[in-house]
Formats: sequence, C-alpha cells, structure tokens
Amino acid sequence: MAKKYDLNEVEVWDGNYAASQALRQAQVDVVAAYPITPSTPIVENYGNYVANGYIDGEFVMVESEHAAMSGCVGAAASGGRVATATSSQGFALMVEVLYQASGMRLPIVLTVVNRALASPLNVRGDHSDMYLGRDSGWIQLDSFNAQEAYDMVLCAFRIGENMNVRLPVMVHQDGFITSHTAQNVSPLSDDEAYAFVGEYQPYNDMLDFSKPVTYGAQTEEDWHYEHKARQHKALMDSRDVINSVFEEYKAKTGREYKRVESYLMDDAEVAIVALGTTVETCLLAAKQLREEEGIKAGVVAPRCFRPFPFDMIRDALMNVKALCVMDRSAPGGAMGALFNEVSAALYTTPNRPIITNYIYGLGGRDFSVKEAKRIFKEQLAHAEAGEITTDIQQFSGLRGPKLGFFKTKRS
Amino acid sequence: MNGLDGTEKRGIKELGAEKLVGWDEVEQGVVINSFEGDATGVANVHAENRNYSDFNSYTATVASWRVIKPVYNRDYCIDCQNCWVWCPDSSIISRDKQMLGIDYDHCKGCQVCSEVCPTNPKSLLMFLEATENDEALAGWPEKKEKEK
Amino acid sequence: MVEIRWHSRAGQGAVTGAKGLGDVVSTTGKQVQAFALYGSAKRGAAMRAYNRIDDEQIINHEKFMLPDYVLVIDPALAYTDNITENDKASTKYIITTHLTKEELIAGLPSLADKAERVFVVDCMQISLDTIGRAVPNAPMLGAFVKVSGMFELDYFLDRMKKVLSKFPQKIIDSNMDAITTAYNAVN
Repeated sequence: MAKKYDLNEVEVWDGNYAASQALRQAQVDVVAAYPITPSTPIVENYGNYVANGYIDGEFVMVESEHAAMSGCVGAAASGGRVATATSSQGFALMVEVLYQASGMRLPIVLTVVNRALASPLNVRGDHSDMYLGRDSGWIQLDSFNAQEAYDMVLCAFRIGENMNVRLPVMVHQDGFITSHTAQNVSPLSDDEAYAFVGEYQPYNDMLDFSKPVTYGAQTEEDWHYEHKARQHKALMDSRDVINSVFEEYKAKTGREYKRVESYLMDDAEVAIVALGTTVETCLLAAKQLREEEGIKAGVVAPRCFRPFPFDMIRDALMNVKALCVMDRSAPGGAMGALFNEVSAALYTTPNRPIITNYIYGLGGRDFSVKEAKRIFKEQLAHAEAGEITTDIQQFSGLRGPKLGFFKTKRS
Repeated sequence: MNGLDGTEKRGIKELGAEKLVGWDEVEQGVVINSFEGDATGVANVHAENRNYSDFNSYTATVASWRVIKPVYNRDYCIDCQNCWVWCPDSSIISRDKQMLGIDYDHCKGCQVCSEVCPTNPKSLLMFLEATENDEALAGWPEKKEKEK
Repeated sequence: MVEIRWHSRAGQGAVTGAKGLGDVVSTTGKQVQAFALYGSAKRGAAMRAYNRIDDEQIINHEKFMLPDYVLVIDPALAYTDNITENDKASTKYIITTHLTKEELIAGLPSLADKAERVFVVDCMQISLDTIGRAVPNAPMLGAFVKVSGMFELDYFLDRMKKVLSKFPQKIIDSNMDAITTAYNAVN
C-alpha cells in the first residue's frame, strides 16, 4: 500500500511538480521515460515517489524517447495505467510510436511540456511539438497555468480510460512559463483525487490469459481504412466524455473547464484565439483595454486541441467583427495551423468575421501584455476598415524588417 | 480428439477470405483474439484441440501458394527434429519428439526442411505439388555412397 | 501587484529563494508567481528570478516586469548586470556587498540618484557565518522581510520552517539564523 502525501489546501507548485503530483495521485503503474528539458522533473519526481514508497509502480529507464513510448505501449497493452513525459526533440523521436499507441487504442497519458524544435537548438517554450502531435490520433488537452496542468492530468486519465473512448491523451503545458513557474495550486487530497480518477479498468489486456490477444497486426488496403475510420470516430465521440468529465470535475473542485474557453466574449467585437499561457496574458490585455479604452476585446482558447472543437470555436467567434489567431510554431511555408482550423470553422458562418494570423513567441520569445493590446487594437482597425488592413500573416516580436505574407483579395 | 494432420478447424478457409466488415464492426485497436471463448490454460492444450478463432492463422490455409511440396519418408527419419526447428511456418507436426508429418495447410513449400534433413537418403524431399505422396515414396532414391 | 526581480548566479539559490518566498506569501492568502530566466547555462552564469504577488489570481505570463524590488544576491552582479533595467521611481534595491552603502554607490553611478532606495547587506558573509556555505538566498529573504515590511519576522520564520521541514533540523536552524541576522543587519 502506497504512502500518502499530506498536502496543504494551497500549495505553491510549478507546472512540472503539479503534473507529477497528479501522476502520483492517479497511482500510475508504469512510467517508461527518457527525461528531457523542460519536462525532466515530471518523471524524475515519479521515480522519487516510487523509490520512497508513495507509488506502487515501476519506473522503467530506457535508451530513447522512441523506446520510452514503446515501453508505455507494451505496459498499457498489458493492462496497466501508464504515463510518461517529454518535450521537443524527445517528442519528435516519439512520434512514430504515438501513432501506434492511438491506433492500438491504449489510454496512455503523455504530459508534454511544450518546447521549440531544433534547429537551432533551444530549450524554451513554443508549440512546435504540440503541433507535431496534431494528426497522431491522441486527445490533446492544453493547460494555461500550473493549476490547470494538475487538473488536466487528473481529467486525462478519466477521459482516456473511459470504455467509450480508450484513446491516449496528451496534456500540454508551456515550457518554463508554466513548467518552471511556481504559482498557487489547490490540489485534491490523495483520496479525493484517486476517487475521481478511479481504479484502472483493463480492456483486451495481454495479461488476461483467458483471452489471449494479438496487438500490432498488419492490415493492408482491405482493413486499414475501416480501422482508421473507427479510430477517428472514437476521437470525435470523445467530445461528450470530455464534457462530462469536466462537469464532474467542476462538481468536485469548483473549477470549470470547457473544450473551448471563452473569456469576455459576450459582447466582444474583437478577439484573440491562442493556446497556452498566452491565453491568460491576452485576457489581462483584454481586461485592461476594456477598462482603459472601452474596447470590447475577448479571448477564445481551445482547451481541447484534439479533437478540434470545430463547432464550439464557431459558436464562440461567429459574432465578432475581427479576430487574430496566434500560432506559436514556425508555420513551415503555410499559414499557422490554428489559423487554418479556426478559419475553416468560421467560413461556415453567415458573418465570416475578418481573420488574421500572427506567428509569435518562437523559442520562448517573450509575449507581453503590451503587444497583446497592440494586436487587439489592430483587429479593431481591420473591423473599422471593413477589411484586412495588414498582411494576413504577420510576425509579432520579431527583429528586422517587417515580415508578412498575403493581402486580402479585393473585388 | 481430432486427428493430428487433419483437424476440424485447421486451414478451413483461404487466407484473406474472412468476411470484410464495415468500420463500425472492426475490433477497436486492431486487436485480434486468438481463440473463441475462455482460453484459460490453452498453453497446455494441443493445437488440434484448441478453439482457434477465425482470425487466427491456424484456421486459414495457404496451401494454394505452394508449387512444390515436401514429402516425408518415415523409413529414414531419425527424429532429430532439425526440420521442426527450422520450419518457418510451424508446419512440421511432431509430438513427444517424434516426427509425424507435414501440415499441408500452412506449408508454403520453401524447401528448408528438406535442406536441413541430415539423413542419407533424406527423409524429406521436394516433389511437384501434383505428385501423389504414395508415388513419391515409391520412387524414393537409394542411399548415396560417400565420394572418396 | 508587487513585482520582485532577483539578480543571481546559477547555484546561489535565487530560484529556491523566490519559490520559498512564494510559499510563505501563499500562506497569507495571497496569490504568487515565482519563475526564473535561465537556459542551459552552467553554475555561475548570471541569471534572474522573479516574483509576482497579488490579491487576485496572477494571469500575466510575460517575462517583462517593472520591479518594485530588485534583490541582488551576488556582489559582482551589481556591477556587471543591468540591475536598474525597467525600474520605477519607487523601486527599492537590496544589494549584497561587503562595502558600505556610500562606498557601493560611489562605484555605481546608476544608483546615485536612488540612494534613499538602496539597502545593503552582506549576504555572503552572513551565509558563511551561519550556514557555513556561500548560499546568499536565505539572508536576502531576511533583508527583504525587513525592507518590505511585508511580514513580521516571527511570522516569516515560522512559515519558513514549514517550507524547509523536509530538511534536517541543523539546516533549518542555520537558515533561521541567517534570515534573522540579515534582518537585523540590512541598512
């Protein structure tokens, strides 16, 4: 029987510590990990909890992130509650096995501390790794601060392990800005947390000797498509389960989460759509603009990046005049990925608000309240002009000559 | 108990002849059940008495893939198990270290068993698929003298 | 909102100091933030740590800050780092040095017009005397308690003991000694 932690009602935890405490409280059976900055403390702490009797589990040391996720796949297929953590290059090396995990419908929880992808080598936060996972078939939940990193990990187990879902779940937090920033966190007690997450229920587990199963079958064109379609349907259907888990979590903690978070949107005329800590920084900017200049600014953020909340995004934004979608990832010769997805959703509305794209914060470049206010005001200028007055894709906080791409098409 | 080389479920359909179903009917996670019903203790049950599922290769046959086939001659076999070890398709039927014959449902005619057979003459030789086994045995070659 | 910027060298405990301060502040019912700016730098590299303290949940995640307090826990950084960056007319400076305040300011023109907002304390010597190692973070906390008036010393010591409770008693005692000594010595 694992020892328990005596936690205070309010702790001062950084995002990594918060995530690792959630893994401990969920009594994860197996963590196979290859630590990488800035997510190292999550698995390091798990190892510590195992060594000191706070978890009855196994820490498996492996030789790469590819092996780490492979170990997780094996342990999950065997019937255990499994989690690990990674960032950046480690995430990139894991990608092949991420697709295996989701295809095999294994409810692994991966805590991703978002970090830029090399080259150039950089340990700081942007969303390149999160975007790299967006077609991998995993549920992707995003947290904007340390409290949410904790909350989302607990919710992740409930969502992924639900018998109607059985899919792996990533919980993202921003490298350093969340992972290494200590803030007030209100944790559940060990007993409350475990009661919420619940006992792990195996399904088609390889250690059930009454029902031997084969994992990792090969299918060619006669079967592959049907399996991928079923997997996609499961990911789409997870939306209802995510809603209900969030509702249950609210009943337990008072903290309310939605697949799309809307802040100050009731009467908003201009909006920013963002992910991660930027959401909160933009919210502060919106509050200040409302107080100081009466600008009706609001913020919309996908809490659930996958499955992408197409309809909820549309409902949240269809009545604004102009909005900017912020992408914290080098777009590699395209518009930002979030911009494209939000634009697609808004194309199916009668109003079709003006929508532009900012690339920002790459490699941990600071994103300030002042800059967020400037971007809000730029949206206001688009709204007043009735068309996009700048390049459609711009770059925030970039040194050198102004960089931008594509103009709006006038009749 | 079923016979060893002609069991009820072995090779009852061509490989790939399973019923194609829609996305809503496929098993989630591409997980394949090897057996029907409760398979507790199946490791201690001989293959011919296991309740293999339709998706287990045991119930499928690849006999039609074969152009040449191995024929087994009990008269020269020393039960060394070399062929059993080397066969890539588990198609050598052996029980209690005694060689019994070939599983023609799964043998693809690769000739490995014949290659590794150490007896003189060989106890496993390859013949055209159309050749009857009795005919093959009747024309079995004589022991070869060692060349000096 | 109170904002604090720590100037330190990697390994001197600014991150631990900032987090410890955050821990204590959180027990008063306030919201805190403690973070640092350091990359893949080695021990001894200049780095900065930050605190934000507010009555409401802190949702500002920018690194940019107009500090109310600047805490310099390495003597040389007062000279080599830009410690007055983004300061305000009310920013208070607590600087670790073996010099007197007058001697320090004489060598630092950027502080000349802020003399009444500059406080000095020899965190290095105090930590050597009390803890036995050059870990200037605990003395700086004592000096900060005095200069900010944010807490009664006894309250701070009591809470800090709980923050350090996982350490051996000897370490807890020497840290309490360091905090108290610096509280009394800062001027």
